[in-house]
Formats: sequence, structure tokens, C-alpha cells
Amino acid sequence: MMPKAIACFENVSRRFGDLVAVNDANLELFQGDVTAILGENGAGKSTLMKLLYGVYPPSNGRILIDGEPSAITGPADAMSNGVGMVFQNFSLFPALTVRENLLLAWPKTPFWASERNKGTSEVLANLTRLAPHINPHSKVANLSVGEQQLVELCKVLNISARIVILDEPTSVLTPAEARHLHGFIRQIAGEGVSVVFITHKLVDVEACADKIAIMRQGKIVDVSIRGQRSMSEIVTLMMGSDVKRTMSPPALPKKPVERLFLNKICADAPGMSLKNISLSVASGEVVGLAGVAGNGQALLAEVIAGIHPVTSGDVVLDGQNLVRRNQMETLATPLGYIPEQPRENAVVESMTLAQNLSLRTLASGGIDVNSDVQALLTRFHVNPPEKDRQASTLSGGNLQKLVSAREFGSPRAAILACYPTMGLDLSAIQTIYLEMFAQAEAGAAVLWISEDLDDLIAGAHRIAIIREGQVVAVKINDGSLTRDKLGALMTGMNLDELVA
Amino acid sequence: MSADLLTLLGAWSIATLRSATPLIFTTLGETFTQRTGIINLGVEGEMLVGACVGFAVGVATGNPWLGLLAGALAGAALSCLHTALVLGANANQIGSGLAVWMIALGTTSYFGRVLVGNQVTPLPDLGSPLTDGLPFLSVFFGQMTMSVPLAVAAVVFAAWWLANTRSGIQWQAVGDSARISSENGIRPGIVRFKAILLGGLLSGFGGAILSVDYTQTWAQDMTKGRGLISVGLVIVARWKPALVLPICIMFGLAEVAVLRAQTAGWTISPHLMATAPYLVVLLILIVSHAMARRDADMPADLRSVFA
Ligand SMILES: Nc1ncnc2c1ncn2[C@@H]1O[C@H](COP(=O)(O)OP(=O)(O)OP(=O)(O)O)[C@@H](O)[C@H]1O
Ligand SMILES: [Mg+2]
Repeated sequence: MMPKAIACFENVSRRFGDLVAVNDANLELFQGDVTAILGENGAGKSTLMKLLYGVYPPSNGRILIDGEPSAITGPADAMSNGVGMVFQNFSLFPALTVRENLLLAWPKTPFWASERNKGTSEVLANLTRLAPHINPHSKVANLSVGEQQLVELCKVLNISARIVILDEPTSVLTPAEARHLHGFIRQIAGEGVSVVFITHKLVDVEACADKIAIMRQGKIVDVSIRGQRSMSEIVTLMMGSDVKRTMSPPALPKKPVERLFLNKICADAPGMSLKNISLSVASGEVVGLAGVAGNGQALLAEVIAGIHPVTSGDVVLDGQNLVRRNQMETLATPLGYIPEQPRENAVVESMTLAQNLSLRTLASGGIDVNSDVQALLTRFHVNPPEKDRQASTLSGGNLQKLVSAREFGSPRAAILACYPTMGLDLSAIQTIYLEMFAQAEAGAAVLWISEDLDDLIAGAHRIAIIREGQVVAVKINDGSLTRDKLGALMTGMNLDELVA
Repeated sequence: MSADLLTLLGAWSIATLRSATPLIFTTLGETFTQRTGIINLGVEGEMLVGACVGFAVGVATGNPWLGLLAGALAGAALSCLHTALVLGANANQIGSGLAVWMIALGTTSYFGRVLVGNQVTPLPDLGSPLTDGLPFLSVFFGQMTMSVPLAVAAVVFAAWWLANTRSGIQWQAVGDSARISSENGIRPGIVRFKAILLGGLLSGFGGAILSVDYTQTWAQDMTKGRGLISVGLVIVARWKPALVLPICIMFGLAEVAVLRAQTAGWTISPHLMATAPYLVVLLILIVSHAMARRDADMPADLRSVFA
């Protein structure tokens, strides 16, 4: 006999105005199962799960929980019904401490929530188990993204959820952190929790999915059991066509001409300082910057982009020094910059797509707001490509594409890209790499910060390693570089030691 | 000689505290409201209504405590108008606050005319045979009523409540981001409704203390901008309840100094003199802004009010 589904979507649809985000979806979730949901950017994955969590009501159809029509009308209900969700862009309060964040999402929090009340000690139990290194009294704003993810997981564990929804949890994690998460997912599934795992990464699917649901344009087009389909079949179903992942960095120019030059940069931020970073990138060259998250790459990017001040040193682009310039001058620099977490750092969510695309032009004195906007949206596959749509309504991946469209859309002297493919589906990744390499082809100096070592090895001419705020090595990518070699440099462990 | 000095000191201290007391309650109320991301300029009106209704009930019943209670309830009732406009109709918070103020100013001026010249039974003072005849304490307690210790207790309780209770942390969270709060299962609308209501209650109470306890009279527009000042004092206190006490005392001290200077026969225009406490507040605001790095303590959602 089939076990009874713990949650069941019956012909569920959700419309936003004219747009059908979820279209007649049917899906069953079972106890102890890990259900992976795959699909392109904007396929409706997040929306489908937000319907279960009560963020929006379905426009049509119904959701059953334990065979009964769901009475969930908001996240508060969802939590008390044992449904927990970790959102794609997190729902933590940066200004509050880890402990306060956990208390806020814990239904059992007593009125007197002070630490002196023994009844509250339980709220930290999962944190000490899962992430003993996180200090419950530090502000969430001071945690790395990986650590924030762990706090989110603790929140979900604290409500002893029967259904745990994780929306692209691995897109912000390092490979090691992701492996840790996979193990953890298997563990809670083993304890009988039904896990929904939205992802773009086939590694995630391979590591822990029992069932694979594929969404395309709002529809669930396929649900298969692990092993039933090959990975390439899955990719085909997801994209509607076969996508080959190829990467061809442009050939290096014969005579290297230095364009972007970092000279002995020192900078200080809370908990991190950069020490004497020097690096030069030639015209047409793609230099990768690899490092374990939290080793200073984020700060270095902000320094180069002119957001964070240096204590000493220079950033030189085409002979012009970029440090100590005002905001308008910085915006007018011909440096294409894709920051981390674009939703917070690179768009104005309350503006339209067209306005967001012209932000840089406006800063450099241009007035032609709407030229080429439509062409750019199409070229970068921003979906839906409506220039008057408000940016806040874009899905996570499409927002990332929007930022790429602005920064890669016109010729730049240099490109600084931080995790430019984060949260993107396979075909979008392809587009981003193509555009980035095209910039190099046209003579831009490209500095590419990434944690994906395979991609770096496939696409960069040289790879610099950053550790504890220092560039510890710059390697020419001549075919001899391997993941393990780079990994050893990133963590500071000696290869020979590892072997011995 | 030194006994005289002590008596003088006692008189100044208690006068300062008494002038600060109405403001402490109002500022505390506005602090709560702003901590949840709502700004309520209507506190001026809520204070006025509290003062008017409180005085009327105090006169009618002869019981000052009933007057204070009625004033608080009247302030809370008026704050519901701000709630309805801001949370219900999504109106601009600044505009809604001003509307509440103007409505209160008009109605209290009209209905308050009959109250002018009336006498209210004051709250009993806290002087006792224990302190009688002692140099500093006899003046200090002889002129103090329960409103002063109540205000101090309210500040201590508010600071503790905000940092140490479930609801306190929830209120802070809502002020930081209503969206994230709702994703965490908090209902920001309800929290904000409660916060505006509490702000109205405390403002009404502060207003009633002004008329029933501090001045023991009613006059048209008697709050003279104290409610609006409290909105500014919230910012000076960096949205921290504990700082409300020292900041309001500073304002009270300036006000007492002006009154004493007037009785001492200074020849500056009384109208100009009366601006001194406000100038002091302005000065503190400027200094505190210059010292604090950016607006780090400001509830994040409050920014959107000015956008
Ligand atoms: N609140 C909203 N208002 C209007 N449109 C929305 C809203 N939320 C989502 N959409 C639209 O619904 C569609 C599905 O969005 P959703 O966030 O579910 O995509 P997704 O599959 O999670 O994509 P991604 O992988 O990029 O996160 C998108 O086209 C998006 O623009
Ligand atoms: Mg999504």
C-alpha cells in the first residue's frame, strides 16, 4: 500500500496579474523523502513552495496536509503546522543577535525570554549541535553567508518541522559546506522529515534526492524516482532542450598590456583586513580569484569597486587611480561590477527594470534612459522581459541576470564579477560566461571571484588564491592545476601532508 | 547657609523631575511606536486629549487617579485614528499624524473652554513625618507625587521589557523589517497596532499628568509642542527606552531654569526665553548625531517613512 502523502498539491495555480507563476501543479510529499525541485530561473519553484508556506494563497486548486485541506493562511500557521521554510534570500534580522533571531522563530519562546530563564536554553540546543562555532550573541550581520544558512536551519529544526523547505540553500555555500548540508539533509530525512530541496545543482540531486520534480514555465513537467532518469535526461527536461556546458575563454593576446593593477592594497573592516594585495590583470585576460568564503575576497571586491576605503595602496585602471574618489566618479568608472547578493547590493527593488538598467548611465551624465533596454533584457534572458516591471517581482535568478545585463551590456575597461552565476540555471550560466569572455575578447581586464574551482580551471587564464586577507599564490592555468591543488592552497594545508 | 543651598537644590531637583514627568511618558510611548517602524506625530494631539479629558474627569469626580486613567484611555482611543489611517488605509504617516494632532487641537479647544478656571484635586504628595525637617529630602518629597516614581518605574520596565521578553524582541523585529517578521510567523500589522495603541495610552497619560498633576489647570493648547518634542527626543535617545529618562530630565532642567530666570526678573522677552528648552533639545540632537555614526540605531523600516 502506498503511504499517505503528508502534503499534496492538487491542481494548484498562482497568478500575479497576467503572469502565471504556477500553473496547474500536482505534487505529493512523503514522510522521510527528499524531494528535489529543479527548473530554470523563473520556473515557479519558489512560488510553489511559498504557497505551501502560506506566503500567498493559491489562485486555483488546493493544498492538502495529512489529507485535509490546508488551513495555512500565513507563515505563522505554517510553523505551528510543522512546516518550516528557509527562503532563497534568507529571513534573518541582521541587526539582532543569533539568539534573538532563533527566539523570534520559536513558537515555544516564553514571555520572559532572558537568558536567565532556564526555559529558553532549549532554543540554542540545535545550534550547539549543528554549529557550535557560532556565538549566539553575535549579530547576524557579522556572520558569513554560510553561517547565516546554518542559523536558518536551526530555526527550522527548532519548530520540529515535519516538512522542511530549502530554497536553493547550496547556491551560497562552499563545496565543503554543501557536502555538510547534504549529510544533514539525509539525517533529518532519516528521522522522518519530508524535505523539499529547490536547487540548480545536479550535485545536490545526486547527493541526496529521493524524488526529482522538474518545473518548467510554472508547470510540473516530470516527477521521477531517484535513478529512474539519467542526469542528461533531467537537464533536457528542465531546459526543454539539451544544453551543453562548454566554456571557451578567449585566447590571450600576444603582447600583454596591463590594464587593471592592484598595488599593495591594505584595508580594514570589522573582523577582516587585507594585507598588501598586489595583482595585475592584462587587457584580454581573465584572472580568477579563489578562496574559501570569508577570507577577504568580499572586502577586496568592495575596495576595487570603490565602496570600501583603503588604508593604503592603489587600484589603477588604465593609468587612473580609482581610490579616494567620490560616489559619482566611482559609478562613472568603466568598471563592470557584479557584487555579492545583488538583491541587496546592486538593484533598487522599487524601480522598474528599465530604470535599474540605466542607473550607471544616469550617474555618468547620460540622459537616454530607455535606449536598448528591451534588447538587453532579451539578450540576457531576463524573464519576464518587461521593462516596466518592478525589479522586486523578479525571481532570484532573473534579478542576477538583470544586474549582469547592466554591467556586461556595454563595453567596459575592466570587469569585476563576484559569483556572477550564483543561483542561475544552466543556460543562464552559459550566457553569463559567454558575455564575460566576450568582454575579455574585446580587451577588458576581467577579475572573476568564484568558489567553483572547476569553472575557474575551465575558464581563467590565471588563478589567484586569497587566504586570510592575503594573496598567497598566483598560478598560471596551464593545464596542470587541479581542484585538489587549489583546495590545498585555499585552506593552507600542504598537499604532501594530506597524502602522508 | 548650606542648609539653604540644600533646600534650593531640593527645590530644583523636584521641579526638574516634575516638569520632565509628562514628557517621559510621552517619549516612552513614542519610542515603542517607532521601534515597530511607525512614526506618530499625533502624540501631540493624544497628549492634548489626555490632558483635556483627564482634567475634566478629575474635576468631575474629584479623584485625580480617575482623571489620569481617563486621560490615558482617551489618548489610546485617539491613537486608533492613526492606526486606521496608517495601517488600515495605508495613508502617509506624517500626514496622518498631523491630522490627528489638528483634530485634537480643534476639539479640545472647543470643549475645553468650560474647563478653564476650574480646580482639580491634586495627587497627594509623598512627604512624610520621616522626611519632614530634613534639609534636602523634606522639599524633595514634600513636592513629589506618585507620578515621578511611576515615570521612573515605567522607564526601567520598558527597557527591561524590550530587551528581555518575547513580545519586546518581536516589536524590535517588526521595526527592522515587516516582511522578514511575517516570514518568521509574526503578524506585523497586529504588533504595530498594539504599539500605536500603547503609544497613545502613554501619551494620553503624560498629557493628563501635565494638566491634573503638574500644572493643575487646563489651558487651550497647553502641551505647547511637548508631543512633537518627544518625537525628537526619541531620536536623541537613539530609540533606547533607558536613555529616555536622562534626556527628558535634561529638557525638564532647561524648562525649570527658564521659569526661575523669569521669576528672577530677567529682562529678556518671555517668548524668547520659552524657546530655550527647545534649543537645548536641538543642540543635543545635533551633538548626538555628530557623535553617533550614521543612523545605526534607527529601526530599519522607519526609513521607508521618509522615502
Ligand atoms: N510577488 C510577485 N509579484 C509578481 N510576480 C512574481 C512575484 N513573485 C514571483 N513572480 C514571478 O513569478 C515567476 C516565478 O518566480 P519564482 O520566484 O517562483 O521563480 P523560481 O523558479 O524560484 O526562479 P529562481 O530559480 O530564479 O529563483 C517569475 O516570473 C517571477 O517574476
Ligand atoms: Mg527561486
